Amino acid sequence: MSDHLRALADEDLMQLVQRGQAPAFDLIYERHAQAAFSLAYRIAGTRNLAEDVVQEAFLSIWRAGGRYERARGSVRTWVLGIVHHRAIDALRRSAVHETRRASDEGIAERLEGGVRTDVEAARHEEAETVRAAIEQLPADQSRVIELAYFGGFTHTEIAELLDAPVGTIKGRMRLGLMKLRSALEGGQVSLG
Amino acid sequence: MSAHEQWADTAGAYVLGALDDREREAFETHMAGCAACRREVEQLRVAADALPAGVPQFAPPPELKDRIMAIVNAEAELLAAAGDQADRPPAPAPRRARRPVLAWLARPAVALACALALIVAGVGAGVLLRGDGDMHTVVADTQAPGAQVELRMSDDSATLVARHMPPPPSGRIYQVWLKRPGRDPQPTSVLWSVDAAGSADVAVPGAMEGVESVLVTDEPEGGSRTPTKPPVISARIA
Repeated sequence: MSDHLRALADEDLMQLVQRGQAPAFDLIYERHAQAAFSLAYRIAGTRNLAEDVVQEAFLSIWRAGGRYERARGSVRTWVLGIVHHRAIDALRRSAVHETRRASDEGIAERLEGGVRTDVEAARHEEAETVRAAIEQLPADQSRVIELAYFGGFTHTEIAELLDAPVGTIKGRMRLGLMKLRSALEGGQVSLG
Repeated sequence: MSAHEQWADTAGAYVLGALDDREREAFETHMAGCAACRREVEQLRVAADALPAGVPQFAPPPELKDRIMAIVNAEAELLAAAGDQADRPPAPAPRRARRPVLAWLARPAVALACALALIVAGVGAGVLLRGDGDMHTVVADTQAPGAQVELRMSDDSATLVARHMPPPPSGRIYQVWLKRPGRDPQPTSVLWSVDAAGSADVAVPGAMEGVESVLVTDEPEGGSRTPTKPPVISARIA
C-alpha cells in the first residue's frame, strides 16, 4: 500500500474506488471496518450475522462506489448508513428479532483502550460524548430511539411494545433526537 | 388538519428508519414539497448519524477482510481486463439455492474449446425477432431447458432479459462476455444471477459496435478473464 494512497482523504479514495481501484477500497475498509462491524454486531447480536452484514455492505460499496455523493456527508456516515440499513434488513429477515441482544459471547477483542493514533483518540472521545449524550436523555426518549435505530422496530411496533399511542412515540423520537443534537453540538462532536 | 400537521413529529421516526415502507414513501412525497419537513429531517439526521459512534467497539476478524478482498481483487482484475468495455460491477440479484450443474459441464477439459464450439451453434439459433423504432430484440439461444432469454438493444444500450432461467450452480455466478469476429470472447464485469422467479434484466456494458454476439457463462464468484465453461446463453447481434 503506497504512502501516496494513505495520505488521501476518504472522499478522494472513493473516486479511485469508482474507477475500480482495489487498493483504494482496501484503505476505505481499513478505516471503517471496525465501526461497521461494531454497528452490525450491536444490531444483529451475533457474530456470524454481523460478518455477513459487513461483507454484503462493503461489497455493495465497492460495486456502487459511484453512488457516493460528497455533498451528502462524510464517507464514514455513508458507509455506516449502508451497514445500518443492511443490518436492520438482516435482522428483520432472521428469526432472532425477539431474542437478539448484543452479548460479548464469541467476541474476544472488545476494544476498550489501546488508543494509538490521533484519529483513534478523537473517535474515542467522540464515542464518550455520544454515550454521555444518550445517557442524559430521559429514559422514555432514549428507549424509543434505541428500539428504532438498533432494534429495527417501526414506530407502530414500538407503540404496541410500550403500550403507548403512536403519536407519543413519534414525539419522543423527535424530541430525543433534538436534545441529542444539541448535546453533541455542545460536546463538539464532528457531525456528518 | 393541514398536510404539514398530518406529518408533525414524523421526521424523527423517518431518520431512525422507523416508518414502514408505505409511510416512508408517503412522507418522502410530502417532504418534496415541504421545506419545513426537509429542514427538520436534515437537523435530526445529524443526531441519528452520530448514534453508531456510541456503540461498543469490536475488531472485525481478519478473515472477514480476506474474504471481501478476494472478491474485490478478482472483480478489479476483471474490470482491468474488460478495459473500455467495462462498467462498474453491478450488485448481483438476490440468489436462492442453486441447482447442480450437469456433470459434464463441470469438467475443466471442455472449457474454452467447447465454449467456442457452442458459440457457433448458439449464435446460429439467434433470430432477429422484431424491430420497434430504434429498439430491436434478438431471441438468444440458451442451454437451460425452459428458459427464455432476449437481448433488447437500442442505439446506446443493450439489456439481456432472462425469464425462467435457473440460478447458476452453487459458488458460481453468471458472467457476460462480448464476442467480436476473429477474437476470443472478451470479459465484462457484469456478474449476475436471477431472482426467485428465475428472472433478471441485465444491462450489457459498453458499445455494441463490432460485437458479433453476447454470451453468458457461469463462472466462479468474482468472475473469470477467460470462459471456463460453455455459454449457457448466446445472442447473435450481427
